[in-house]
Amino acid sequence: MTSTPRPRSTRIRPVEQRRPRRTAGRAALALVAVLAASCSEHSVGPARTYDDYERKSRTSAEVALSAVETVRLLAETSSDGNAWGAYTSVSLSEQEDTLAEAEGDYASIQPPDHRSDDLRVKLLDLLGTAADHIAAVRIEARRGNLDSLEQVARPLADDSAALQQFLDSIKR
Amino acid sequence: MKKVLGVALGVLTAIGGFVDMGDLVANAETGARFDMNLAWVVIVGVVGIIVYAEMAGRVAALCGRPVFDLVRERLGPRFGLANLLASFFINMLTLTAEIAGVALSLSLVSSVNYLFLIPFVALLVWLVCWRMKFETMERVFGLLGLCLLVFAVTVWKIGPDWNHLFSDATHPHVPHSETVFTYAYFGIALFGAAMTPYEVFFFSSGAVEDGWTRKDLGENKINVLIGFPLGAALSLAIMACTHLLLAPRNISVDQLSQVALPVASVVGRLGLAIVIIGIFAATFGAALETSLSAGYIVAQYLGWPWGKRGAPRTASRFHVVILMAIIGATLFGLTGVDPVKVTEYSIVLSAAALPLTYFPILVIANDPRYVGPEHTNGRFLNALASVYLVILLLVAIATIPLMIITKGGS
Repeated sequence: MTSTPRPRSTRIRPVEQRRPRRTAGRAALALVAVLAASCSEHSVGPARTYDDYERKSRTSAEVALSAVETVRLLAETSSDGNAWGAYTSVSLSEQEDTLAEAEGDYASIQPPDHRSDDLRVKLLDLLGTAADHIAAVRIEARRGNLDSLEQVARPLADDSAALQQFLDSIKR
Repeated sequence: MKKVLGVALGVLTAIGGFVDMGDLVANAETGARFDMNLAWVVIVGVVGIIVYAEMAGRVAALCGRPVFDLVRERLGPRFGLANLLASFFINMLTLTAEIAGVALSLSLVSSVNYLFLIPFVALLVWLVCWRMKFETMERVFGLLGLCLLVFAVTVWKIGPDWNHLFSDATHPHVPHSETVFTYAYFGIALFGAAMTPYEVFFFSSGAVEDGWTRKDLGENKINVLIGFPLGAALSLAIMACTHLLLAPRNISVDQLSQVALPVASVVGRLGLAIVIIGIFAATFGAALETSLSAGYIVAQYLGWPWGKRGAPRTASRFHVVILMAIIGATLFGLTGVDPVKVTEYSIVLSAAALPLTYFPILVIANDPRYVGPEHTNGRFLNALASVYLVILLLVAIATIPLMIITKGGS
């Protein structure tokens, strides 16, 4: 295979016999557990101040805006005959799940004060409305009515504008 | 003529095989979130993989032994074991991501939940590893991966202002909506995706499987010098697609289906079909590479017979490791972990472990006892490789703190 001679002095030594330390094994297990936990979608922590809560509100609104806009583009693409049913249906379900998880996670965060209550009510209302509208698009797609998706998705334009307005109203 | 065709096929395979789940996710995510401001990282990453893959291929062709086989011999069992543990762990994450990626691409044409498809995909991956010839496997999935060129067609059909696009890519800055930490974190993710360690293990072991000798050194150079840059251009096309179509709509990429959306929207059904075939081929090919890499690194470290050249019974422990790796990745995937998040973590953690993979290659490629005095690295290559080693160390040091500060890039 090759004319190059192998090195004369090799440093191969037998594999170490001693067992790996338990601490190393535990550290590796802990790393796997942390990774597995952090790979679950939309993990949220507590919000101790209004600023914290506002930041989490922003993150949830951004996730929702992305889902709403994805569904609008999907609806437009499918209505134009550029995507088939399975792709549209699976993609819509994914966005519906993403929004539902964002909504559930946000709802589970304890608002730290009364100012946060107002933010909570406003955003949960927007998320709920958007979720209903996305569900309507998904139902229509599952019925095979791809041509009419763009029409069914029209209310999402208002949801998108409202979410954008919400994002503009809170500080970055 | 046969030689030219062979080289051309090798280059095409290198282009098609360059992109995997990590590249798909990282490039699409950064394009939608950072526009073209991280395009330079793709260039830095591809130069790095060219430098080190060429060395790994050269070492394999001249010694007839792959890199991992030599790491333990040249740097001792302790360093080899640290390298093995880190590489195997990251390889398992990557394998999980690739198997889930194949299942996700199949779910987009079948409407079946991807979790139901994961065991089927795992079985298919194992069967191909077990039965298909190495060269056939490499060529089929590498060439099918060329379907991803439809991303370049999409960019062309969008018809962007090319000067503006080029200017965006060559004048990088941190976008207003991001912090310097998230910018650095996603830069590391892109770098990790371009320089994933399994690519080098597979590349050098593949060179031995293909029976490369010093006569193949030219082909090695052509593959990496032409194939990899064109593969990187494909990565940039994916980034440009999401930058042009998804970013203006405030869409962030959290699902594999969103990566295909610009193509469907601009090119239509045919484009969608082609891109899904491309995603399937890229992830399936990478699932084969990571499965085999698991077997390669363990068998090579422990000195077991390895490879697909002979019958499986001649390398039974190598095949058992592959089977166990596939089962392990399948079980992890079936827990319902988010495949895109697994992909993100696999490429970022790859970045943290890069020095362990690339430092030994540099040492061995400079050792005349392995490559012969006339084939050791030249001054320029050593200078470039040393600069990259410093970059790899800085990246490795920064990765975990950035992961904590940015909460995984969120």
